[in-house]
Amino acid sequence: MEDTITVTQLNTRVKSLISDAPGVSDVWVTGEISNFKTYPSGHCYFTMKDSGSEIRCVMFRSARARIDFQPADSMQVAVFGGVDMYVERGSYQFIVQTMRKGGIGDRYAELEKLKKKLEAEGLFDIKKKRKLPTYPKVIGVVTSEAGAVIHDIVTTSGRRFPADILLAPAQVQGEGASRSIAAGIDLLNRAGVDVIIVGRGGGSIEDLWAFNEEETVRAIAASRVPTISAVGHESDFTLADLVADVRAATPTAAAELALRDGKEVLKQLDEETRRLNRSLSYLTDRMRSRFQVIDAKLSPKRAEEMVAMKSMTLDRLSERLITALRAPIETVRRRLTVAETKIERIPETMIPPRKASLDALADRLESLNPNNVLRRGYSMVTNEKGNALTSVSTIKKGTVISVRMRDGVADAEIKEVRKYDRD
Amino acid sequence: MTEIEEMGFEESIKALEEMVKKLEAGGLDLDESLKVYEDAVKLRDHCRKILEESDRKVQKIMETANGPVKEDLDIND
Repeated sequence: MEDTITVTQLNTRVKSLISDAPGVSDVWVTGEISNFKTYPSGHCYFTMKDSGSEIRCVMFRSARARIDFQPADSMQVAVFGGVDMYVERGSYQFIVQTMRKGGIGDRYAELEKLKKKLEAEGLFDIKKKRKLPTYPKVIGVVTSEAGAVIHDIVTTSGRRFPADILLAPAQVQGEGASRSIAAGIDLLNRAGVDVIIVGRGGGSIEDLWAFNEEETVRAIAASRVPTISAVGHESDFTLADLVADVRAATPTAAAELALRDGKEVLKQLDEETRRLNRSLSYLTDRMRSRFQVIDAKLSPKRAEEMVAMKSMTLDRLSERLITALRAPIETVRRRLTVAETKIERIPETMIPPRKASLDALADRLESLNPNNVLRRGYSMVTNEKGNALTSVSTIKKGTVISVRMRDGVADAEIKEVRKYDRD
Repeated sequence: MTEIEEMGFEESIKALEEMVKKLEAGGLDLDESLKVYEDAVKLRDHCRKILEESDRKVQKIMETANGPVKEDLDIND
């Protein structure tokens, strides 16, 4: 039996099919406005069309309030929103959440123009890219306070080299986003951070448009602090990516680029420590070997060796001395022998002069003979032992003396002793 | 040299690298070498401390009528 459903049931099924369908919600659609009407309720109704098709659109009052221009027929716009089923009418329509002037096509042309202009100014010059600080103390982040970006950066950086995080909350899409981003970059520059991450999470190219705007790009270029762009869009490079010092694909990647892995830093520290210890032990080894050389020179064993060496030198020297002296000694000895031989052969005729002088000496000796003095009338007085008396102090009255004269000796006894006064 | 305690990580690790190079180059006498070594070990410990005792701040900064103001930022994990 066939199922029967009501019209309402059918349209309700279609509505749920549409709302689950991929690619028809959260999209930007470009086209031209026609039949634009604003109702007293504040809601706006219009048709979007291009050369081949058209669709009914609704922009509720809340969405209308978010755009700062008056949409009008024939205007080229891009609308963001999704398709929805209007069950009562059995028709579907596009619910517009926001609207921009100009189609995407126009915006790309503008972007290309801006890119060329900034490129000509050298803003994207690869030579201008600065190196990120190795160990930043404070990481500045310009992004939405509510988004996943700041969450990802805080979480990721918590696992890396320790650094403070300073967020400058910014509006990252819609009107005024680029002004807000530029203000955040300037604020962080003044706050004295070491590196700035500018970014937002993924989204359509429309969502990222603020990162293609001149104000954002110039603010990044003007930053005195190195910058990392983290605009979550893998396929398209925004101008922010081109101007930033480093481009990261995601906020997580940005945090990883900004901060080194703590473990790697520890490894480096360990390596420094190893080098330190190596050089010190090299030094102590060198000192030790120098000491050993000196120590060896000072040791008693060494001293003995040195004495032995010296005495060997002495031996050698004396040997040389003896050798050197042997020849002269022989010469002298030979000459002596010759001289002796010559002396033996001295003739008798050389002797008489010596005999004459001997006679003279005998005469002089004879003249000193005391007997000769006695012969001239002097006497010699001796004591009983025959010793000559030369002073009266050795004799007294009664002393027996001998008086020797030329021809004999007379013994006598002293009657009186008178000593001269002058002695 | 600045008081080690007040040195940042980058400054410290640069100074540490300098000292290692100085020691490796040789030409210092033993006393000088030991002094350099001592300082280098202090620097290394300081670096380690910075790495391991992180009490980082997570804050936001906003422009107000009285100039920029910082306040702590709560990030829900």
